Amino acid sequence: MLILGIETATESVGVALGGRDGVLASVAIARGRRHGETVAPAVQFACQHAGVELRDLDAVAVDIGPGLFTGMRVGIATAKALAMALDIPVVPVTSLEVLAEAAESYRGLVVPVVDARKGEVFWSMHRSDEGGVTALGEPSIGGVDDLVAALGERGQHALCLGDGAHRHATALRDGADCALSSERHPSADVLVAIAVRRALREEWMSADLVAPLYLRRPDAEINWETREVRA
Amino acid sequence: MIMRVDSDTLVLGIETSCDETAAALVMGGTDVISSVVSSQIDLHARFGGVVPEVAGRAHLEQITPVVREAIADAGVDPRRINAVACTVGPGLIGALLVGVSAAKALALAWEVPFVGVNHLEAHLYSAFLEDDSLEFPLVVLLVSGGHTLLIEMSDHGRYRLLGGTIDDAAGEAFDKVARYLDLGYPGGPAIDRAATEGDPEAIRFPRAMSDGGLDFSFSGLKTAVVNHVRRHPDVDSRDVAASFQAAVVDVLVDKARLAAERVGATGIVLGGGVAANSALRRDLTAVGEADGRRVFLPGREMCTDNAAMIAAAGWHRLRDDGPSPLDLGAVPSMPILES
Repeated sequence: MLILGIETATESVGVALGGRDGVLASVAIARGRRHGETVAPAVQFACQHAGVELRDLDAVAVDIGPGLFTGMRVGIATAKALAMALDIPVVPVTSLEVLAEAAESYRGLVVPVVDARKGEVFWSMHRSDEGGVTALGEPSIGGVDDLVAALGERGQHALCLGDGAHRHATALRDGADCALSSERHPSADVLVAIAVRRALREEWMSADLVAPLYLRRPDAEINWETREVRA
Repeated sequence: MIMRVDSDTLVLGIETSCDETAAALVMGGTDVISSVVSSQIDLHARFGGVVPEVAGRAHLEQITPVVREAIADAGVDPRRINAVACTVGPGLIGALLVGVSAAKALALAWEVPFVGVNHLEAHLYSAFLEDDSLEFPLVVLLVSGGHTLLIEMSDHGRYRLLGGTIDDAAGEAFDKVARYLDLGYPGGPAIDRAATEGDPEAIRFPRAMSDGGLDFSFSGLKTAVVNHVRRHPDVDSRDVAASFQAAVVDVLVDKARLAAERVGATGIVLGGGVAANSALRRDLTAVGEADGRRVFLPGREMCTDNAAMIAAAGWHRLRDDGPSPLDLGAVPSMPILES
């Protein structure tokens, strides 16, 4: 089992190669050149230095968001095209799942929070215990107030992680019973680890069917419908 | 990566700079084996123009099915493909990046070169897809929704800007006037259709900047159309469309002719979406015949954005300059004059 993971859903870019025995190669750029310029050379570098040929891959894993739309599409387009050309499936994983999995050694409520810009965040709630990290609901989008309210409803101490949690650290700490983990960006290493488990269960799909998780419609469509209502 | 680039070199072209997702296979820079274009016009029509985020989303949905279809239509084994060319600019950044990312990934997977292509340069190669017996220098008239350019082409890859628009692009003027007259979207074909039933001499609209310069201006013409319709609310919109189109075409043809004389061009090459306009094709052809200059017109399906022209331009770029680096980014405002 050999999987290439591509991570471009936030400001960072990551590419990792791995299998059942763990990660073979990993390239991570937390902040730097634009995603479109970084991903392909990173794939090439990781393969060359790990002595892996792309044709040896069994699947491509990709972070399908939620996150920054243009960045996400760079990774997803790359994954789709690689999978199509190599005739292998894609394992889609969400940015929130990747972030939550980074807290697998923690015990309790884990809440990944990805910066959605425009004063909003994407988040989801997970339980981390001996059995692993389990999602407790669907990913959400809203203002920080909405997240604080959701945490209040749950009434449980939470470990928050992700760039959204860091951007709104003060509001979260003031409004909710939570601690912040240092993790800011989803890691390609973790993405590959999740994808290996899913690939062993054949939880994958054809490249053409892989779709991003935007959770927010284009502004033009929202404005258009508002206009319709007003008219 | 050293490779021979000749008449047997098969290039996959990819185009996602605006609102068409396209892929094509072209052999030897001229022979179109397959060409698939998935248009997003219907998605943008209600907004009256292309919405970048809507375009980016649609490109991502379409990219692999369109490439698959281009390969299937050609009936070739993907391993036969020698290079992958893709538009890197100018265009919408979020749209461009889908094609560029996919093209690089395909090149990596197939272990063939990646070639970045300038969309404007590719438009003029669409005229050469039908006839590649070129003699330089040539004058290129590139007219689309985003550009109105007169360019001297002294050799493959060698360009000099002779003139451009100081305000609206010609295609933009078509869109705006069509919207004002309620003729539909996109404006170019809508005006062209309405004009066939109208009188081009019904209204004498101004021919802007016919002063011996090679720059264009279309915003005054657009205002003249609006003012005329306001003063004559009962005017037949088909006459307005025909008269407006005649004014645009007169200016384009006159300046192209003037540019060709100045540089001693052997011919005039037409490119861009507005190259599909029937009056422009007819008048430019007539001027070419009168002056003894060849006129290269792209096939109508090759006027709008397509990937065959990207593959053709990519073949020339590969032959003359070699592959592009994999860290080449998308360049939203890429000019045609690179050297």
